[in-house]
Amino acid sequence: MNKTEAIRAVIDATGAEPVVFTTGFSCRIARGIADRASHFYMTGSMGLAADIGIGIALHSTVPVVVVDGDGSLAMNPGCLLTAGALPGLPLLHLLLDDRSYESTGGQHVPSERVDFCALARAAGYAEVLCADGIGDFREALASGLTCSAPVFVHAVLAAPEGALPPPRIDLGLDEVRRRFSDHLGLVVR
Amino acid sequence: MTVSVGTDRAQELCTTLLGQGFSPFLGTPCGILAPVYELLRSRGGLMTVVREDNAVGIAAGSSMAGRSPVVLMQNSGLGQSVNAIASLVVPYRMPMLFVIGMRGTDADSTGENEVMGRLTGTVFAISGIPATRLDGPLLTDQVARCARLVVEQRRPAALLVPPAFFGWRP
Repeated sequence: MNKTEAIRAVIDATGAEPVVFTTGFSCRIARGIADRASHFYMTGSMGLAADIGIGIALHSTVPVVVVDGDGSLAMNPGCLLTAGALPGLPLLHLLLDDRSYESTGGQHVPSERVDFCALARAAGYAEVLCADGIGDFREALASGLTCSAPVFVHAVLAAPEGALPPPRIDLGLDEVRRRFSDHLGLVVR
Repeated sequence: MTVSVGTDRAQELCTTLLGQGFSPFLGTPCGILAPVYELLRSRGGLMTVVREDNAVGIAAGSSMAGRSPVVLMQNSGLGQSVNAIASLVVPYRMPMLFVIGMRGTDADSTGENEVMGRLTGTVFAISGIPATRLDGPLLTDQVARCARLVVEQRRPAALLVPPAFFGWRP
């Protein structure tokens, strides 16, 4: 599975559920596949996608999905502690791990000795799943989207991207916030 | 200033913030704000977050879900939060209230806090976030003004808390 296939699987699996996409190519790939009001494109603030998801999930009646990256999680593993401390939080935290800072030129993420699943488990996530292929990932998504506690899914991306990434997000960022916030009005308490 | 003046002010700040519709309250470590944390915790409304920029991220999510969150931190943590403010709060126009303990100002001459003491007002000014230094007799009006900005107009705002405001001593 590559990043585009993983993001397509997330978009196929979700409907009204809010999805927060991390900075870099994840936002761009997601918008290229389907531009929905339920998508939040976090174009900056690297490392904070899960925190935004936590802030929504505190008030949400449906699971909140976070599409995170290995570089982002390595930059801010502290987000795991906050989510893990909230056992009733409906958060589906997806780690798309390609071991590289792809959007800044493909530099290597120094995480080969890091066990992200063990980190999430130790932080208090209720369930931790690992997906090596697209079939496993689709199953993990289906299971995770029924969650009422923090679930972490480590998706191992081994296949190269087939195409160049779509262009940068050209919506006004306040417009991204406005339409996403309007959508959240339908799924929050 | 006596301890009881500090406690009264902490009570007044909590009561006014809650009465104006602010919530949730996201707190990070700060000695100046400790009396406020104690009261918020006893009134069931404090979530402690492990780092300041994470609290800003959570507040952003919460504000998009229609709430009017408050992020409480020491100004050293504002340094940690500059990118979250610059790339998330300001360009996406995320409403939230910052309550900032102002180490490195007034009688607090600790060397490790001096630079952020000088920088804090400037960070907010350049970010275009209105920041007000809390003043005892004006506290209720100052919080009401912040509520107009955050709760009604859906903009960010900040209250700056002098070191001795709730009785803290260097």
